[in-house]
Amino acid sequence: MAQIELNNITKKFKRTVALENLSLAVKDKEFFVLFGPAGAGKTTILKTIAGLEFPDAGCVKINDDIVNLVEPARRNVSMVFENYALYPHFTVYDNIASPMRSPLYKKDEEFIKKEVYRVATMMKIDDLMDRLPSQISNGQKQRVAIGRCLVRQPNVFLMDEPLAHLDAKLRHFMRAELKEMQSSFDTTIIYVTHDYLEALSLGDRIGVINEGKIEQIGTADEVYYTPANQFVAKLFGEPEINLFGADIIEEVGKIKLKFLDQKHLFSVEDDVAAALSACEHSVVKMGIRGTCISYSLSKEDDEFIHGTIYSLEPIGNKSILIVDIAGQQIRLLAPNDFYADLDSDIYIKMNLKNALFFDKDDETFIIRHNQKHYIEKTL
Amino acid sequence: MAQLQLKNLYKQYRNKKSKQQNDFAVNDFSLTCNDGEFVGILGPSGCGKTTTLRMIAGLEEITKGEIFIGDTKVNDIHPKDRQIGLAFEDYALYPPLNVYDNIAFNLRAKKISEQKIHEQITQIAPLLKVDDLLDSRPVGLSGGQKQRVNIARAIIRKPKLLLLDEPLSHLDGKMRQVLRTEIKRLHKEINCTTIIVTHDQLEAMSLADKIAIMKDGKLQQFGTPLEVYDDPANEFVAGFIGEPPMNLMTVKISKNMDEFFFDFPKSEVKISVPQRYHSVIVDGMTVKLGVRPMDVLIGDKTSKGSRVHVAVFENLGEERKISVRVGDEFLTLTTAEEIRLKHGDIIRLQVKAEKTHLFDVETGQRIRATD
Repeated sequence: MAQIELNNITKKFKRTVALENLSLAVKDKEFFVLFGPAGAGKTTILKTIAGLEFPDAGCVKINDDIVNLVEPARRNVSMVFENYALYPHFTVYDNIASPMRSPLYKKDEEFIKKEVYRVATMMKIDDLMDRLPSQISNGQKQRVAIGRCLVRQPNVFLMDEPLAHLDAKLRHFMRAELKEMQSSFDTTIIYVTHDYLEALSLGDRIGVINEGKIEQIGTADEVYYTPANQFVAKLFGEPEINLFGADIIEEVGKIKLKFLDQKHLFSVEDDVAAALSACEHSVVKMGIRGTCISYSLSKEDDEFIHGTIYSLEPIGNKSILIVDIAGQQIRLLAPNDFYADLDSDIYIKMNLKNALFFDKDDETFIIRHNQKHYIEKTL
Repeated sequence: MAQLQLKNLYKQYRNKKSKQQNDFAVNDFSLTCNDGEFVGILGPSGCGKTTTLRMIAGLEEITKGEIFIGDTKVNDIHPKDRQIGLAFEDYALYPPLNVYDNIAFNLRAKKISEQKIHEQITQIAPLLKVDDLLDSRPVGLSGGQKQRVNIARAIIRKPKLLLLDEPLSHLDGKMRQVLRTEIKRLHKEINCTTIIVTHDQLEAMSLADKIAIMKDGKLQQFGTPLEVYDDPANEFVAGFIGEPPMNLMTVKISKNMDEFFFDFPKSEVKISVPQRYHSVIVDGMTVKLGVRPMDVLIGDKTSKGSRVHVAVFENLGEERKISVRVGDEFLTLTTAEEIRLKHGDIIRLQVKAEKTHLFDVETGQRIRATD
């Protein structure tokens, strides 16, 4: 149980800047997810907290104590790695017991037994105690690795992509199980992942990291519905959000949008219009997710935009439909039994009430309609 | 361009040490890929899919069976004379050569004139969006670019058959989606008979016209993406296709008055057996019930469905996933509706009767309803 603080951390590997003046505060018992693409610096942050990397500048605090000079073993942090790192010659029981047998945290065997069984029951591996790591499945290995970290009741529990090695199916189950167990962990958790589903599902808050810097820190609803910039918007959601330029045009006192070479001018809601008219440019980047676009085989009204089918990719319960409009590819969803030839005609309609608007130059978020509603419905 | 036919194909590796015969790596595998068709061979690692591909390419000896490309039996034809384009997962580009020379390599080996090579490369390069990279060396390219070059090199010879072995598995998520779409477009442009081998069901579904699903060397099902998704032949296919995976649960059939129910073990949950199954079930029988997460619904107040507690609620952006504990297992449902639930909330389970599948507990074979 602890709060963790990173203050103005900079870390360089030779000439590469891995972390640049990064600050972060994780609350006591929070499940905090560090999310970003490969090479963003997520694991370096974890290692800095664990004491496996020394920051070149800045300080690491655990419970208001500066721990920069405290040895990793004495920080009472516990780390789960992607590749489990179990002792191959130890049984499941001995693997879980191993931290409590280390000279630093030595406990008596009776206590160890109680503790191992408490954790093993929670992780549902109590019937595997006598097996060796080679005799259990990958999903079970991961549970043993997590269990081994939980026995010590660490200050903070650091998890580095614990589900990345599992196949897609198992990942779904393990993610749900991890979330179900979350309340019983009763400790601060910092969890690194590059899978946006894990980030949205597990995190009380999510820190989006890119090139050693924080792009946004917020709840799942905040990062999904009001991403701080285009980079964050693109990371969440599949298919990737559609982004294209739109001209802001004033027509008889009303703000309208012109985009994708269409003659039609599209109306926007009043709150959006107000923000866009205050914008210093006459061009804005518009982002709209595939789930907010519908399609038709005929032009039902003025708001339908003509395009041709660039690609149609069934992915099970639905298909990803990619429509080419004036050289721009727009991704949306269709039911899995929809069929049409590539390059045939199609019309799409965007629900502009769900559009996001970004500054065309620095790509930061400007507004979406009814913005407060999306954040406040968070339970 | 040509039709590909595999007839009762077997492959057995000899164990050199014990001189014993191993199990068949490929076991009685037959498949027809029509001219211009895109077929996916899909299965978990070790299922024999790559061995099959290698036999088609001629890199692996055929133990038994026949392979036809067009009307020609190719069993005894040398790989280089089979007119096949091959692209493997790990690009295998020549590092000292630039992209142009890499693509030209096989044509030069065939002593085709430089002028003709230039014509062909100018034609192919834009299709794979490598026309700006022709002077670059492989070392400076991204994974996606390398794979584009690799595929360009495979199709430059105008093969009768294009074979792709896990072409996207080295790429990260975003690049994979982009290249997936590019390969789909490429197939439309060149219309070459294509076989893709993959372990990723999303890749197979999104690219192929038809998918052959393999397990332990045997063909499990061959059909369009919609067929294998909606009408799986057995429990393996049902569980392998679709994400999140299909709920597959062992249930016991009970009879109460004149109504049949699926009873879940260690749980109060009951689901009424759809009418169409009544002729193939009996009271007390145990079956595997399969239903996809999107076909389990949250019933309203008037619903007769069993009441269950929400174990896990996940808001995943595009959709929301709800897991409930039924006995020891998770039952998962997904919905696109903008709802918010939390651990412990009570919901009523309702199942789309027409979307349920039954499987034999022993054999895993589908138990089909009589219509």
